[in-house]
Amino acid sequence: MPLSTHLGSQLVDLCSVLLLLCCFAIVAQRRLSACVDLFALQSLFLAATAALVAFLTGHTHIYLAAVLTIVIKVVILPRILKRVIERLNVSRELVMNVNVPAGLLICGGLVIVAFFITQPIIPLGYLLTRDSLAIALAIIMIGFFTMIARMKAVTQMVGFLVMENGVFLGATAAAYGMPLIVELGVFFDVLVAGLIVGIYTHRLQDAFDSIDTSTLTVLKE
Amino acid sequence: MGGLGEVIVQMLLVVVQVITLLVLAPFIVGLIRKVKARLQCRSGAGLLQPYADLVKLFGKQPVVSSTTSWIFPAAPYIVFASTMAAGLLMPVFVSHSPLNFAGNIIALVYLLALGTFFLILAGLDAGSSFGGMGSSREAIVATLAEPAMMLSILAIALTAGSTNLSTIVHQSASLEGGLLVPPPHLMALAALFIVTLAETGRVPVDNPATHLELTMIHEAMLLEYSGRYLALMEWAAGIKLVVFLTLIVNVFAPWGIATTLTPDALALGVAVYLVKVSTLAVVIGVIESMFAKLRLFRVPELLGAAFILSLLALVFFYTLRG
Repeated sequence: MPLSTHLGSQLVDLCSVLLLLCCFAIVAQRRLSACVDLFALQSLFLAATAALVAFLTGHTHIYLAAVLTIVIKVVILPRILKRVIERLNVSRELVMNVNVPAGLLICGGLVIVAFFITQPIIPLGYLLTRDSLAIALAIIMIGFFTMIARMKAVTQMVGFLVMENGVFLGATAAAYGMPLIVELGVFFDVLVAGLIVGIYTHRLQDAFDSIDTSTLTVLKE
Repeated sequence: MGGLGEVIVQMLLVVVQVITLLVLAPFIVGLIRKVKARLQCRSGAGLLQPYADLVKLFGKQPVVSSTTSWIFPAAPYIVFASTMAAGLLMPVFVSHSPLNFAGNIIALVYLLALGTFFLILAGLDAGSSFGGMGSSREAIVATLAEPAMMLSILAIALTAGSTNLSTIVHQSASLEGGLLVPPPHLMALAALFIVTLAETGRVPVDNPATHLELTMIHEAMLLEYSGRYLALMEWAAGIKLVVFLTLIVNVFAPWGIATTLTPDALALGVAVYLVKVSTLAVVIGVIESMFAKLRLFRVPELLGAAFILSLLALVFFYTLRG
């Protein structure tokens, strides 16, 4: 039994690391549609992690969360974002607040910070997923960083969704998932947020001929 | 089997392994070309074409510019010899090598760097503008790839507790449940794969199939070479590619490598090795068809990503329970 627990723990770690790799790919990527694709891939890994945790622990409600992740984050949201990108006819992020190599370095630093913060907490945990907590924190911070570093509304939305993925992974790691009702609420929120951003980006394009959110600063009452 | 007899067998195996690398190199180059041609709906040259090229080049008389120094004719031999020496340190299909004492991964990295250094010098030596351009680009790529390569290899060395290549391979090959790759290795694998593409002049960084002045790196340094010098340089490039592929295959997926010297294990080791390296070559061919070459100023981004990944591999080693 301890061997299989160890094995399961390793597998969960492996999936979490794949999530983190996707984060880095998103930070390094300039093409918007590729960013969306990478987000979908990350969500797929997230669903795999959740399913794995559900299988290993016997908490069946996590299966439902995994299925919801696939339906909403792998299928619906990328489709909405892709449609937005197609209609707005923007393909690349040419100007960024932080350029790509510096962004990657900062993200590396963020991961180290996340590990440093969680270092005292992790040994106190007893769940087999406890190592993922550090990675979840790192993903949340990288998502946040993406929202700051990028100027296009679509990539900021991807950053937000990546943060949400991090929160989900964190919840799975810290407590084997949230209560079902909370998870359902979160998924609904994310879906609505995706829809709102889709519409809001169109408005932004209509008003400013660009989806660069920094133009919003010239708004006056 | 006595102690002496075993040593002789092992030494023989080392020689056989190096010869395998030498013979395999043109085949792998041809295989990648074939895969690319197939994916572009061409039939492509035969798998043995690189061998024919080498034979033809070895038969030709080299032409050397009168403005060159001794470096120019010496460089092909140094590049070839250093790459082959790197191959000597590599466990190919037997996990422990009697040359274990002679060098570790750091020696391997610097043997390859020695070859690169003389390649750069040779590019500058003839004084043609393309050669100088290629050398300066190669210097950028090599400088940026080096830290990523060192860190990713060190991350693996930490797990095994040794910088000796065959110790690392032997340990991970004889590990219980070796099917599971620990997370730090995944990061290091990604980093090392990017470094491989950069160091061996494959597509996202350099295009081995082009002679377009604006883009070429490796080819630009070889423009002045002809005859057997060119053959040696091309062959050395092929061996370098195979050495990198072997490194990836044996360090990250040492399944099936011979850990003992029984005939069965050896036969299995050879077969598994050939399959794994060919698979990796096909993967590289597919990647080359899928991606366009990066602009030169984007290459630091790619190698920066490799560096961060390898750094994370190190951090992960200390944080996640191995």
